[in-house]
Amino acid sequence: MDNTPFRPSGKSIERLLITGLILFGWALIAVLRLIDLQVFAHDKYVRAAEEQQDKRRLIEPVRGPILDRNGEYLAISSPSLIAVVNPLRITNMAAAADLLGTILGLDVQKLDQDLEAAVHSRHPGYFVVESRVTEEKAAELRALNLDWLDIRQGSVRSYPNHQLAAHVVGNVGGDGRGAAGIEARLNKDLAGKPGYLRVKVDVRGQAYDSEVAVPPVAGKTVALTIDSEIQHTAEEALEESVVKNHADHGSVVAMDPNTGEVFALANYPTYDLEEHLHAGEKQHGREDLAVVSPFEPGSVFKVVTISAALETTNLTPMSLFDCSNGSFPQYGRVIHDAERHGTLTLADVLAKSSNIGAVRIGMVVGMANMYEYVRRFGFGQKTGIELPAEARGMVRPLKRWTPNSMGSVPMGHEISVTSLQLAQLGSVIANGGFLVHPHIVAWKQAPGAPKEYTRPARPLPVLKPETVMTMRALMRRVVQPGGTASRLHVIGYSLAGKTGTAQIFDFAHHVYTHKYNASFMGMAPSTNPRIVVVVTISGTTGEAGFGASAAGPVFEAVMSTALRRLNVPRDVPDEIETLLAKNPKTVAAKETDDTSLASLNPPTEEEMKEASAADSDADTGSVHAAADGPKAPNLVGKTVKDVMEEAASNGIEVELYGSGLSRVQSPPPGAALVPGQPVQVRFAH
Amino acid sequence: MPVYRPLKDLDWPLLIVTLILCGLGVLQIYSATQGTHWADAWWKQIIWIATGLIMMWVVATIDYHSLLGRVVYLYSAAVALLVLTLVLGNRVFGSTRWIRVGGFTLQTSEFVKIVLILLIAKYLTELKSETLEWRDLAKLGAFVAVPMALVMKEPDLGTSLTYIPVLVCGIFMAGLRWKYLLVILGILVITLPIGYHFLKPYQKDRLVSFIYPDRDPKGTGFQVIQSRIAVGNGGMWGRGAKESSQTHLGFLPVPHTDFIFASFAEEHGFVGIVIALVLYFLLIMQVVQNAQTATDKAGLYVCMGVAALILFHVLVNVGMVVGRMPVTGIPLPLMSSGGSNTWSVFLMLGLVNSVRLRRFVN
Repeated sequence: MDNTPFRPSGKSIERLLITGLILFGWALIAVLRLIDLQVFAHDKYVRAAEEQQDKRRLIEPVRGPILDRNGEYLAISSPSLIAVVNPLRITNMAAAADLLGTILGLDVQKLDQDLEAAVHSRHPGYFVVESRVTEEKAAELRALNLDWLDIRQGSVRSYPNHQLAAHVVGNVGGDGRGAAGIEARLNKDLAGKPGYLRVKVDVRGQAYDSEVAVPPVAGKTVALTIDSEIQHTAEEALEESVVKNHADHGSVVAMDPNTGEVFALANYPTYDLEEHLHAGEKQHGREDLAVVSPFEPGSVFKVVTISAALETTNLTPMSLFDCSNGSFPQYGRVIHDAERHGTLTLADVLAKSSNIGAVRIGMVVGMANMYEYVRRFGFGQKTGIELPAEARGMVRPLKRWTPNSMGSVPMGHEISVTSLQLAQLGSVIANGGFLVHPHIVAWKQAPGAPKEYTRPARPLPVLKPETVMTMRALMRRVVQPGGTASRLHVIGYSLAGKTGTAQIFDFAHHVYTHKYNASFMGMAPSTNPRIVVVVTISGTTGEAGFGASAAGPVFEAVMSTALRRLNVPRDVPDEIETLLAKNPKTVAAKETDDTSLASLNPPTEEEMKEASAADSDADTGSVHAAADGPKAPNLVGKTVKDVMEEAASNGIEVELYGSGLSRVQSPPPGAALVPGQPVQVRFAH
Repeated sequence: MPVYRPLKDLDWPLLIVTLILCGLGVLQIYSATQGTHWADAWWKQIIWIATGLIMMWVVATIDYHSLLGRVVYLYSAAVALLVLTLVLGNRVFGSTRWIRVGGFTLQTSEFVKIVLILLIAKYLTELKSETLEWRDLAKLGAFVAVPMALVMKEPDLGTSLTYIPVLVCGIFMAGLRWKYLLVILGILVITLPIGYHFLKPYQKDRLVSFIYPDRDPKGTGFQVIQSRIAVGNGGMWGRGAKESSQTHLGFLPVPHTDFIFASFAEEHGFVGIVIALVLYFLLIMQVVQNAQTATDKAGLYVCMGVAALILFHVLVNVGMVVGRMPVTGIPLPLMSSGGSNTWSVFLMLGLVNSVRLRRFVN
């Protein structure tokens, strides 16, 4: 046996070696690459793997409900199945609309239009067909296996009371975020925090494994200070008045003057929260006018003027003002009263709402003091209510006030305010002189946490208590015989308030139109007011469109409901009520008109003419027959003070000349007075 | 010639390394196919290995000289089989590589490798001169080209390319003049671009995506990128058995066959890979050692052909997995799941043992 194995030649070994080297090099390349991939670039590839395998899926939190002050649901979320389509992937829109419409029981034609519109919308790849799909229908839709249709687990927001407090509650948009009202303003609180699932997906994008990485946190419950019943009354009465007066829109604010809690905040036109905006529909009619839309308040603002007068001057309610028989040239234009007055006391200037009187008082108060009080009452600043897009209103800075401003501001022009700010103004008078901050959120509560009550900022002292007492008494006269709102009455309660009928300025044509902003700001019971209500009806016409006639009935309805809801004790005994009921004349005394007019700029000729015309329109029926009119009293031989007091008590206008004791008067004592002509009295030592 | 061949004379180190690699393969197949519709691949693989071991023993007992003597018939049968495959074969994924035998399918091109090893060994043994002449090269080239062309026709470019290293190794060992080598290389450089035009579109895509995998990451570049991510994701120590996300989430294509090494790399990391590669190195060196101890040239060429073939498989497969070679569909010997390839490797190892068992005999 030959035990020596076959040995390849030296040449072969050499070649073998070379082959080996080449192969070794080849292997080395692979190994180096492995080191690179697995050691140096490891992190990069781990990220690459995670990127394609680990998907986060959001878990939507349950949106918190919105309650009214009594715990009634105004908005609530419930889980539901949502049918979502990608309109961009649909090839035959009509067929798709037909299919979905038939299964889901929707209007096929409308759906087709909506789908077409969705393609051109801002989110063309996403359209919610139906947000309340039943399990059976969902199964039916899933069985169709359409790649452009998705049935998602979501939640649907419902508003059980539909249009109740629509502007306050607001609604959520298609993206699930609050779009208006509290829903928008407190979106963060209501929305909660989304959790997420960590999902491992396979190559086909299907979930392979999942774990809840972060559980979702449900949104907070938000309770409002709104009382559904007061709110409901406000909305109903407001709608009735706006429709009856052919007005454009209106607002109501009812508020607790002591705490700033808003009981009701209504606007008309309003909308049903369950109805989404249709394609192409404008947001118009969905604005919270009471908060976002300032207007010239007109005569209501005289409350500010007179409050300022009582505090900064030595004027008293009995101080007399010459009201120039309804026509007062001043600062290059003429100020008119709706009804001609001779001389009025300060008290009557408010009760009868004399523009000339208010301007004369304003002149005494002076520009700086007037501005100071306008600011003190919170005008030109946001009230800070928890509603979006609040307007601050327009108050010109003092240095931009012209002398002409003093012919406008004291009667509520050249300034703009919101209904809410007027409610704030009323509250100062009602609560003893403090500026409260209106709020509409009573408390918020996160799940499992204690309630967080709203702590409004400390009320600021604005008026002296004695001023407040005087103002209440003066405002009480507005609703008493001889006042501009003498017809207003809430059985069992004494009222106080102020009317306003501001002509609406047409900014497009720079003239005052014949449309009015009729408003009423009032409180009850007048002795210790518990509720302040502000009503504004915008775009009224004619005498029926004045503050007392248009806004008054709404005020009565809201105020009486609010007083009953809050169990406010009556302050007018039943006997008096029966007495009043027997003599309706005393209650329904002649209601005087209450228009105020001013211009934001020095007026033009045209504007003056326009204004005069407006005045004469509003003045019909107020001319007294001379025959059964009053007779001139004997004013001879008296001091200036005595003459003025007597004239004021008789309600006659006087023009005084000279000083000392009165010597001559015209017309003479006992002669009939001509309306609009004052009694001229000459004094001498 | 003694008929009795003692079992203890088998190449036990070779067998042990082989079985360790097979074991790793089975475990990896098991891990990678959990929850997929290939979940039964692991025990099928055990059956392939078991039957493969028997085949190896049978071949080991046969004198390789008698096989070399009948190589003309074997070659004719192999070519006939390939033609038969093209005619009768099962069409799977657009290519006809398999022929149905009994209850299972065989990939005929895998077995042709063995015939070519024998054929080249036979031819080179009978050479009179120290070096190869052009005439010899042409003849050998033609012998290899026929089955290659048939396999390419299936089409199966990867497998057909595995025939080349056997030839290259043989002619290199037999004595190729450097001058010839340069000429061959020159011809290759010129013909490669022409050959590109004869490739199927999907093969062209593979080549393009090998060079620019990020050009179409969802399409043709997908396998290359996903394999690279799997390997990189493994890191130094790997993510652990059955913990590999690339494998288990289906990102890695065919994680139990061609891309088993990527799956292995992801689960066992660089450390695991080095161990596996060392095992392959030991396996090939053991085969080479058998070549060195062979009693005749024929034995040397047979063993070296086997070594070259296995080495080529490993290098191309690993190169493909790490993105250094185009995707060709060449399995990793002994680890990848698949009957034909497993059997053909065991048959080749049987040839090596046949050579070894006769090293002390004239």
